[in-house]
Amino acid sequence: MRILLVEDDIDTRTYVSSGLRAKGHAVDESGDGHDGLLRASEHDYDVIVLDRMLPALDGMSVLKKLRSCGTQARVLMLTALGDVDARIDGMEAGADDYLGKPFALSELIARLNAISRRSAHANTMTTLRVGELELDLIAQRVSRAGKPIHLQPREWDLLKYFALHAGEVVTRSMLLEHVWGFQSSPHTNLVDTHVCRLRSKIERDFFGPRIIRTVRGEGYTLSMKQGH
Amino acid sequence: MPLGVNVHAGARMLRSAAFRLAVIQALLFALIALTLFLVSWFAARHYIENQLRQTITDEFSEVIAHPPAQRAASIQRSLAQVPRGVYDYSLFDARRSLVVGDILEEPVAGWSTIEQHEGLRGGKDAARRILVYGATQDDGSMLVVGRDLASVDELDALLKQVFTWAGLAAVVLALAGGMVTAGGYLRRVEAIAEAASRIAAGDLAARVLITGRGDEFDRLAVSLNSMLERIQSLVEGLRQVSNDIAHDLRTPLTHMRQRLEAAMEEATSVESYSKACARALADADSVLDTFAALLRIAKVEARQRLEGFADVALSALLERLVDDYRPVMEDEGRAFNVAITTGVHIHGDALLLTQMLVNVLENALHHTEPGTPISVKLDAIGHGSQLVIEDAGRGIPARERSRVLKRFVRLDAARSTPGSGLGLSLVAAVADLHGIALTLGDAAPGLRVQLDFPHRQDA
Repeated sequence: MRILLVEDDIDTRTYVSSGLRAKGHAVDESGDGHDGLLRASEHDYDVIVLDRMLPALDGMSVLKKLRSCGTQARVLMLTALGDVDARIDGMEAGADDYLGKPFALSELIARLNAISRRSAHANTMTTLRVGELELDLIAQRVSRAGKPIHLQPREWDLLKYFALHAGEVVTRSMLLEHVWGFQSSPHTNLVDTHVCRLRSKIERDFFGPRIIRTVRGEGYTLSMKQGH
Repeated sequence: MPLGVNVHAGARMLRSAAFRLAVIQALLFALIALTLFLVSWFAARHYIENQLRQTITDEFSEVIAHPPAQRAASIQRSLAQVPRGVYDYSLFDARRSLVVGDILEEPVAGWSTIEQHEGLRGGKDAARRILVYGATQDDGSMLVVGRDLASVDELDALLKQVFTWAGLAAVVLALAGGMVTAGGYLRRVEAIAEAASRIAAGDLAARVLITGRGDEFDRLAVSLNSMLERIQSLVEGLRQVSNDIAHDLRTPLTHMRQRLEAAMEEATSVESYSKACARALADADSVLDTFAALLRIAKVEARQRLEGFADVALSALLERLVDDYRPVMEDEGRAFNVAITTGVHIHGDALLLTQMLVNVLENALHHTEPGTPISVKLDAIGHGSQLVIEDAGRGIPARERSRVLKRFVRLDAARSTPGSGLGLSLVAAVADLHGIALTLGDAAPGLRVQLDFPHRQDA
């Protein structure tokens, strides 16, 4: 991926950019809003990581300008600790995802992967296929190898999110935010419990490998390939 | 130094706005008294002089009624009467020399006032002022009748004296009244100023004295006191939170430091290093979680009520939440008793309400043993609605119930479990923002959290 990182704090910028480069991404760095906007309009980036608080021009204004010029690059906004409202503002201004500081690098990478591969046709698709799994997005029905599976509404939401991000690491906080709409993580293992239930429904009665695998310390991934 | 204090107080009184008003009032009083005096003086004088003129004219007519030849004799008689009459008479001939009478110099014709020195009268040298009326007769002689002005002058003097004293008394009374009023006002204002300076000096418990008279100063004192009440609670809250933050963050930071130090000294392998790092990371995360929770509460508390509020289908929201938590309850072997009245709507912020209900449920899950039943009940009551979430755990002792809503308060029993002591504070903050009455009670056994939602005003 070609990534533009707009962040004024040098420590954070260096930490993030070296982490992303280590994963094989090409990263351009920018320290303020004006420069970031200039770079973003000069080159085609897959993803722009945009800090909300920036010198010269704040992140929100950069985002609005980018969207008004029709830039198609995915944008992930970074916001200050505890700034919950920023998420809603950022999404309204056209951000694809949002991440509050401080964050684990693995969380950022999982989210960047998720938004960069998000299909442009996600809203017009009627069916999703992942291996033997088939999701009818209109009727909200799921089947594996032609056998229908009954899911609770929340389990359906969960599976749909996994399917839309098949093959990627999905973190617990991504699930809490995008499936449940919660803004802070509960102490209980709400996510694990639901994932466990979903697993039992889509894996137990079928032969074959596990579909939802746990990625230790990071989250889960939905995959039909034979794995470790 | 009582004298010094008095002088000081006196000087302050002289400088006070109320005293200035009193002085102006006294001057105004004096002016009114002076005007009153002048008007009455002129009126009285005018009246008496007119009376005098009337009697002189009458006497004159009487004298002139005599035939011209007998007039001198009649005057002579009148002057010779004992006791002597009140009138003065004189007759001057055509050559202007006195024929008979006690007015020695011939005045001009008509009305005039003359002064006549009569050394003998009353034994002392007094100048008499006489009002006279003279008219030239056909034969060229002039008949003059006059009357002493002493009575008028005496009245004049009396009036002047009376009005001077009365005027002075009015001014003094006005000044004194003004001083008393000013003193009263000054005392009330100074009581307020004194309370303000005590607060400025750090005594936040200081209040303005309320006299109970219910006047404007009392009303001012009441509103000042309620403002002070609010400021005190805010400042104390701030102080408390600062202390709590310092206290609560010191523990994980100290742990982190110890672990890192121990790792530097003792760790021998990459594995033990990474283990120490992971634990330090967990400590750092718990500090950051605490900060995030504090900021979230602060944000909710800073929000204006109704800002960004919309219609929220509370029943549906609760149904979804219950569905989300049912698997967790089942996994922990808990009975989850749910009774939700459908169709309950409230005015609020759905995200915050969700967060609030999650925190209440999490609190019940967190502080009770697995297997302990939890129940959720939503009822429409009157125009409002009531949500009761109960667990059958240990509960919270009655005296601790209001305390646990404060930031960082964790009961001793909960000290061993992880948690920041901020969960119920956020519940309280969101409830407060929505005007929801939050009551912690006894579910016998266990904790009963009762949320009374206000009557929904249709938006």
